[in-house]
Amino acid sequence: MSSAPLVAVIQFPGSNCEYETSSAVKNSGLDSVIYRWNQWRELKDSHPDAYILPGGFSFQDRVRAGAVAAKERIMDLVFSEAAAGKPLLGICNGAQILVESGLVPGWERGKIESALASNHISGRSGYLSRWIFLRIDSRAQRICPWLGKPDKGIIPLPVAHAEGRFVFAEKDRKRALTAAALLYCDENGNESSEYPVNPNGSFLNLAGIMNDSGNVLAMMPHPERAYWLWQLPPWTPGDWGDRRNQSISSGSFADEKGPGSFIFESLADYFRGER
Amino acid sequence: MKKVMEEISIIVRLKAPDPAAMTALSTFRRINPGECPDRLERYDYWCFIDPAEGRDTVSGIVSRYHDIVNPNKQTWSFAGDESLSAGSDEGMVWIDVLVTDKIDSVSENWTAILHRNRSEVESVRCSVLWRFGFSSGISFEDARKRVLDLTVSTYRDHGLLANPVSQKIDPPVPSRI
Repeated sequence: MSSAPLVAVIQFPGSNCEYETSSAVKNSGLDSVIYRWNQWRELKDSHPDAYILPGGFSFQDRVRAGAVAAKERIMDLVFSEAAAGKPLLGICNGAQILVESGLVPGWERGKIESALASNHISGRSGYLSRWIFLRIDSRAQRICPWLGKPDKGIIPLPVAHAEGRFVFAEKDRKRALTAAALLYCDENGNESSEYPVNPNGSFLNLAGIMNDSGNVLAMMPHPERAYWLWQLPPWTPGDWGDRRNQSISSGSFADEKGPGSFIFESLADYFRGER
Repeated sequence: MKKVMEEISIIVRLKAPDPAAMTALSTFRRINPGECPDRLERYDYWCFIDPAEGRDTVSGIVSRYHDIVNPNKQTWSFAGDESLSAGSDEGMVWIDVLVTDKIDSVSENWTAILHRNRSEVESVRCSVLWRFGFSSGISFEDARKRVLDLTVSTYRDHGLLANPVSQKIDPPVPSRI
């Protein structure tokens, strides 16, 4: 049995990124097991050190993305573990589940205080799949166990969603700034509310939000799909594009880690006490 | 004098049972067994604002655009005209609630498409209509309260069908019988 910290990846009916996510965790030096949504007893008995809700279409996005999964019994356990301070990450559909569970922003326990609404882009509606750029909020980098690894610069990651627009009630819009964790920007780090820099019309250009203590992170982009450098498209600009091209020249293309690895390696650093 | 905009709405239903309604009902049975309706139905609801020739304009749009009503899998009727759901409704109390995204690309884009193609309509707004059916023994007022409780998602363990942060919930109304 591995002595590395255990990260539980929870698979709901319709999740479809659990294997890549679990693999990314293992490649970062952590242990990972995939638990189905109805294995709550096994999950509880295994005492995981952290939890990930992966991407996909839980319950086929019926009713509203993430809404049905948020009511599942296994989420009772996830909820109490997050409240106890264990790291919890939701990626894409996992982020939608966290929002619908009231785990982020989590200002009032269990209250649903934000939404991941349909993309709002002029001239098109529905599902959007493309590469975007991110920067990390400085406070989030300090307090969030998923974002602590230094020297990441501007991060290219893919998004693939129809409902990825973070929304807050009018009265909470100022407070939403405190939940900011990841922000859409261009390849030079400049924010814009315009498509394609902000791909879905998200409030404050938010790509990811966290709870007050920072242990719960909900992010729409998929870090597991950019874990390796070879997963980046050839046109990737900036530092990561340069790294990609250099790795091809040096013959290390297949083995070098990509921009998405920082999420999982940040968690590994956190467990090693390196931050 | 300002012209009053006419609104004509249609209800679009799947020919097969609606899977989202089935999932929502089974979720209610789990999280709110005491308040759960006996039946739950779900429809697409399209509201056409100020169609030039009234129902004729709307019928023309619906027959032209199969993205609004796909005749292979859906049927439609004007709101208010439709006969209630299949099966016996005798003694049941039916309540409708309409859920609409506060900001909605689908409605905006359909309005743009219809303008581009010279359809004579001011705008279009799409929503989801949920229809709750309760067995006899409940008043309309109690049924309405239950519908609101079940619809508006305020806490993880409370409500399901609409997130009020991003969606507008019209007050529940009795269905026409």
